[in-house]
This record gives sequence, structure tokens and C-alpha cells, in this order.
Amino acid sequence: MGALGKPIILMVGMYLFLKFVLPYIPGSAPLPSSLIFLYLLLTASGIVIYETLSGESKDAFWEPMQRFLTGEKIGGLQALRYGVLILFPLLVGWQTYGSTATSDLPPTESRTIHPAPPGEYTGLSNPVPKTPENIMQGKGFYAAFCSPCHGGNFDGKGPAARGFIPAPANFADPTTIAMLQESYLFWRIKKGGVGLPIEGAPWKSAMPRWEVELPDEWIWKIIMGEYDGAHQSPRTWE
Amino acid sequence: MKPASPMMKQILSCGSAVIASLIIGGASLTFAQESVSVRATLVTGGLPLDDPNAAAWSSAPPASFPMSPQVHWPNRIQEVTVKDVGVRALHDGKQVVFLLEYADPTQDQDDGAALEFMVGDKKAHFAHGQPMLQVEGGPVNIWFWKNKAGKAVDMSAKGFGTLKPQSHQDVNAKGVYSNGTWKVVFSRNLSTDHPEEDVQITPGEFISIAFAVWDGRKDAAGELVEKGSQKAVSSWWYFRADAPPDYSSYMYAAIAAALALGFQFVLIRKLKKGQ
Repeated sequence: MGALGKPIILMVGMYLFLKFVLPYIPGSAPLPSSLIFLYLLLTASGIVIYETLSGESKDAFWEPMQRFLTGEKIGGLQALRYGVLILFPLLVGWQTYGSTATSDLPPTESRTIHPAPPGEYTGLSNPVPKTPENIMQGKGFYAAFCSPCHGGNFDGKGPAARGFIPAPANFADPTTIAMLQESYLFWRIKKGGVGLPIEGAPWKSAMPRWEVELPDEWIWKIIMGEYDGAHQSPRTWE
Repeated sequence: MKPASPMMKQILSCGSAVIASLIIGGASLTFAQESVSVRATLVTGGLPLDDPNAAAWSSAPPASFPMSPQVHWPNRIQEVTVKDVGVRALHDGKQVVFLLEYADPTQDQDDGAALEFMVGDKKAHFAHGQPMLQVEGGPVNIWFWKNKAGKAVDMSAKGFGTLKPQSHQDVNAKGVYSNGTWKVVFSRNLSTDHPEEDVQITPGEFISIAFAVWDGRKDAAGELVEKGSQKAVSSWWYFRADAPPDYSSYMYAAIAAALALGFQFVLIRKLKKGQ
């Protein structure tokens, strides 16, 4: 089995690297299993090409595998051989079943959480001066109109929230308003769930279209009150 | 035959590990599915069309969905009586029947419940198919039951204020109240002659479904608290009528396994001959 030792160590090492080391390199992310499989396949074909370059190395590489398959002079590995010979057809059958059986799972929904706003809602700045009075007023409007769903604590856990999927945004979470500009919030509050583009489907957002009920100035004040209350600041490009 | 027995043991233990992992995997799949969809089980021999307490319901897997007050459009409401609805469904290849169950402390004339479906290929907003501003959405089909009327109304909408009864009424409903619980049965043919207005149910296909409930209680001034758009609503969920059992994938799997076995056999024979 000497000639197979190195390739096996290489494959295992590659897998461990892809699975447990690569994700922790700065700027990287965990790899999906399909990509890991592809990389391992490439590694394996690289090994086969390398090992079969010369006639000598080719024999040294294939010989133990042939011996294992034919079961000649492999002693204690005989049980493993039978195991492999039984499991391989079962695995093929299982994979075939998995790819032909009708799924019981509903269609997956690839909703874009923060789709791009229409052009006229990019880069607007809040026209309301950031005074303590205006922030206070914004928080008052927030309590009246927004808090039933988004919560008195700006955490998305208002009493009316329970049936809504997606759940109302949690403004204290750093991945919501903290990574958005005030201009973006202005668009989402004004147009609501029905203002979402196609990539925001399946359009389950219960967000009201507040432009039919509230003047723009109130909406800008609400935005101010939201950032202040949730202890976040709007994203800027400076 | 003696040396074979420890080997067989090993093979058996390997096999049972594979089977165990299949069972665990299968079980978790079923569990994940229950919470996001309503399944209509295929039954033979009669649907409980107007009997919410029929024994047949026990063969339908129950699903439960959370409700919220309708806040999307005025007039909105900020608190509602019904917090969850339980839903079961059955079909026989011709008709479908839904059972809606929910807790309501009082039986009132104005108690009501409704099912909502997307119609056709275009998606619709869950709030009455409210028109989307950037994309053209589709209509919704609403099956509305009211205690006072004692029957269902088959309706269409494409946004708040556009709800109207259809000229063709295809839905039946019956409600039974006992022990603080409403059980409402809705039934209809799987398909109708009006695919532009009515949801068409094809077994095996997922369809979007949503629920609404009105508690018909009155406040101290004698006014209805929940009425019109002031109601409990759910988000969109999925509904599927089960397709008749299809065993073809077992056959494909058996063929593939047999081919793999044959391949092994030929390969080993060739190797043995070559040496």
C-alpha cells in the first residue's frame, strides 16, 4: 500500500485545508460542499496524472488498487473489500433515488433582503435638522406608527410582529439600518412592501406604503428617531 | 464458512449505519416541511365535505401558522383575537377539502374566516394581491366564510378595495363551533372552468396560500372590533395536494445499483484475467 499512502495523505490534507483552514484566512469564507467536492476532484485527477506519468510509477500506483479489487493476497483487508463492493452499488442506487425522487420541500425562495432602490431614492440627505426636538418628535411618530411591529425597543419584536415572515426589521441589529443610508430608509418607509422590485419577491413584506398616510417631513423625522433609539448611525461613503 | 461470520458482522454493522443515517436524514426532512406548508393527503372513499369532526381528518397532517393584525393598509388594526390557525387538507383527485381550526372565546354572528390563493403564474402580494409599484402582480382568489351566512363566497381581488364575489360560485363551507374552537371546512373541485379567477390545484404542485380570521365580537359601544380590513392575517405559505404515489425512482435506483454491481463484476473479472 506504500504507493497509495502519499495520495491518500494529500487528499485528506487538502480536504482538511479547504474545510477548516481556508475559511479562517482573512477575506475568505466557508466553502459550499459542492465547491469542496470540485476541488477534491481536481486534486484527485492531478494525482492520477502525476502518478501515471512514467510506466514505473503507473504500476506502483495501480498495482495495490488492482490487488485490493481482485482480493489477492490482501489478508485482513478482505472484509473491507467486501464492504466496498457492497456499499458502492448501494451508494449509486441511493444517489439515483435522491436525484429522481420528487422533493417534499417547497420551492426555495432567494429573496434579496436589501434590493437596490429606484434611482430617485439614492443619495438623498435628511433635510430635517438633527435637533433634539426633531429626534424626540421622530421617536413619538415611531411609537405611534412603527412600534406595533418593529417594537418599542427597536428590536423588531412588536406585539403585531408574530405572523409576519420576514419578521419586521430589528434596527438594533448591525446588519439592518446601520449598513444602509438614510435615503434607503426613506424609500422603504415611503413605498413599503408593495414598492419592492422583482428580486424582493415573494413579496411577503407587510410594511405599509406610508406615503399615502404620512408627510415626507414626518418620515425623515422617524428615520432620525429610529437611528437614535436603536443606537446606530446611517452608513456614509466618506 | 467459519471465517465469513466476523466479516458478515462487519458488513451488517456498516449497512445498519447507512440505514440509520437514511432514517435520521429522512425524519429531519419531514419535520422541516411540516412548518412551512399544508399538505392535502390523497384519500380514496369519500371526503368529509361538511363534517369537521370526521375521523378522516386524522389522516391529514396538521400544520399551524401564526397570525398578525392586518397592518399593511388602512383601516388597520393593532390587536386581534386569533393568534394561530391550525390547517389540515385532504383530496381525492377530484375535490379538495380544507379544515381550519382556531380558538375564539365567543361564538358571534359576525365570526368569519378566509383562505387566499395566488392565481396563475404571476406572484401576488399577500395583502389582497395589493398592486406592486415596480412589477405587475397577479390576482388572488379568496374563499370567504361567515357564520351569519352559513356558506362560502368565492371572491377575487387585485388590491384592497377591489374585492368582489365572482359570478361563478364554486366553493362550499361549513363552520362548527364547540368548546371555544371554530372548525371550518372549505371544499371545492381541484380545477374549475375559470383559471383566470380561480386557483387551479394540480396534485404535486406547490401553490401559495394565506389565511384570515375575523372575531365578530362587539365593543362596549356595540361596534364590531374586527371587520373588513381589520382582521387577523397570515403571511404566504405553501399548499400542495399530494400526487398519487410514484415508485419510479425506486425502480431507477434499483437499475442503477444493478448496473454498478455489474460494472464491478466485469472490472474484477478483467483484472483477474489480466494478471
